[in-house]
Amino acid sequence: MRLLTSNTQKRRLWFVTRLFLIVLALTITLLPVYWMVNTSLKTQVEIFASPPTLWSQNPTVENYVNLFTRRHLGAYLLNSVIIVGSAVFVSLVIGSLAAYSLARFGKDRLQQKLNFWVLAPRMIPPVALVVPLFLILQQFGLINKPLGLILVYTAFNLPFVAWMMRSFFQEIPVDLEEAAMVDGASRLRSFRDIVLPLAAPGLVATAIFSLIITYNEFFFALILTSTPRAATLPVGTAALIGKTQTLYGEMAAAGVVAAVPLVIFALLVQRHLVRGLTMGAVK
Amino acid sequence: MPGWRVKLLPWALIAPTAVFALAMTVLPLVYSVLTSLQEFPLGRAPVFVGLQNYQNLLHDANFGRSLATTLIFTIVATAVEFVLGLALALLLKEEFAFQGIIRSSLIIPMVIAPVVVGIIWRLLYNADVGLFSFAVQALTGRSFSVLSSTTMALPALIVVDIWEWTPFMFLILLAGIQSLPLEPFEAARVDGASPWNIFVHLTLPMLKPVIVVALLIRALDAFTVFDQVFVLTQGGPGTATEVATLMIYKTAFRFSQFGYGASMAIALLALVLSFSAAVTRAFKGSV
Repeated sequence: MRLLTSNTQKRRLWFVTRLFLIVLALTITLLPVYWMVNTSLKTQVEIFASPPTLWSQNPTVENYVNLFTRRHLGAYLLNSVIIVGSAVFVSLVIGSLAAYSLARFGKDRLQQKLNFWVLAPRMIPPVALVVPLFLILQQFGLINKPLGLILVYTAFNLPFVAWMMRSFFQEIPVDLEEAAMVDGASRLRSFRDIVLPLAAPGLVATAIFSLIITYNEFFFALILTSTPRAATLPVGTAALIGKTQTLYGEMAAAGVVAAVPLVIFALLVQRHLVRGLTMGAVK
Repeated sequence: MPGWRVKLLPWALIAPTAVFALAMTVLPLVYSVLTSLQEFPLGRAPVFVGLQNYQNLLHDANFGRSLATTLIFTIVATAVEFVLGLALALLLKEEFAFQGIIRSSLIIPMVIAPVVVGIIWRLLYNADVGLFSFAVQALTGRSFSVLSSTTMALPALIVVDIWEWTPFMFLILLAGIQSLPLEPFEAARVDGASPWNIFVHLTLPMLKPVIVVALLIRALDAFTVFDQVFVLTQGGPGTATEVATLMIYKTAFRFSQFGYGASMAIALLALVLSFSAAVTRAFKGSV
């Protein structure tokens, strides 16, 4: 009887400890994000109030309006959409073809070497490429032009797309294609009509993934673009920090604008997040 | 389809990707080596200087210190993220109420753009309005700006990295734990093994391949950290938080010393590649 009570007590204690730890982790994770949202809705006067107010006493969207009317945030956002959209689309088309080849014919020895070359670029830290890419793009007059960044992002997305799509293609049974080809369909036709539709969820996940990576990318964007003519949202946001100094409200609002679409996208592909983060090493 | 076309197809499909990789990775790398052998005097054509840049690099105390800073940052951040991520994964591996929402919430820091993460922590660390600074002031009675302190700026940046990337460790380790076979654990439980023994002798060894992948990816990314440092401290105060990537950025793009910057980047690349090669070799059997 005693034993039973102590077991129940033990279990209850563990339950409470666990609950406490989970709540603690959630608080540490979410409080900083909440603080940015909260700050973005405050007036400049309230931001400097001491002690700080836990929620805005009279919420205002003034900071957001200022961003678009005075700080070119609309232009940065548009640049991001154009650059990220093009890079993701191109890398998805080209990369899926490579992925299909890797998944279906990848047993060849020569081809296996090629696998390595497709993946290798991902191992190289961006900083090792930034000086030469800057100098090369400068010679072609592509600095501070959307096209320059589109090329760079496409190249960086490709290994990722190829490897992620490869792991999705490998999950599709070869029999289906072979059956179609026995019935007279060509390899490309069976790819288009059978493989692609089956791989569609993977394609969507991969697209959203490369979208997250490119949309958040800062290092290359900072070096290859500078003005509202071509600069992306992260660069515009970082520039704002320098210009606004103590306009914390606008800084916070820019952070919210940059973060919200991505958080939504990421939650949509949560199921595939692990595969994407490890490039298929862990499923 | 004629035979040669069938044979060619795998190559044709992969060709565009290979061309891109060649043009945007291999070519720049070669160009980078060439650049690192040159000097770029302002307003004049670049001059070939041989290995001069590398020689200077060996005697550059700033670069050495920058590497040391980067190493401290990488080791501390990765280690803490691993321990916290593993703890979270163990804490959340069983079914419980609201687990979907809780897991989604926990990964938010990781998907927010690093620049925005920088903003978030600026708002917390800032001396005049920061929540964190307010708490410090309430506790110690004096105003204190974490990011302008030579001793506290680096730990403060490490805290930011831990906040941002613990979710990554959590997510990957959780996936690893959930994909482990159940039988050995049931057998151990029947034999009366304690939870601690099960963890040390079953969970950890079986999880090793996943752990290696997670640590490697995270360490390599931390080693080339830039965005958050750029937004929060720009390497300051002084050079207290000048990580390697930031130093290369400043050398090449603020001071236009492209040759010297390129030689630093090559040195960094060599370090990163030999590190990954060593890890991959050491764990070849298990990964």
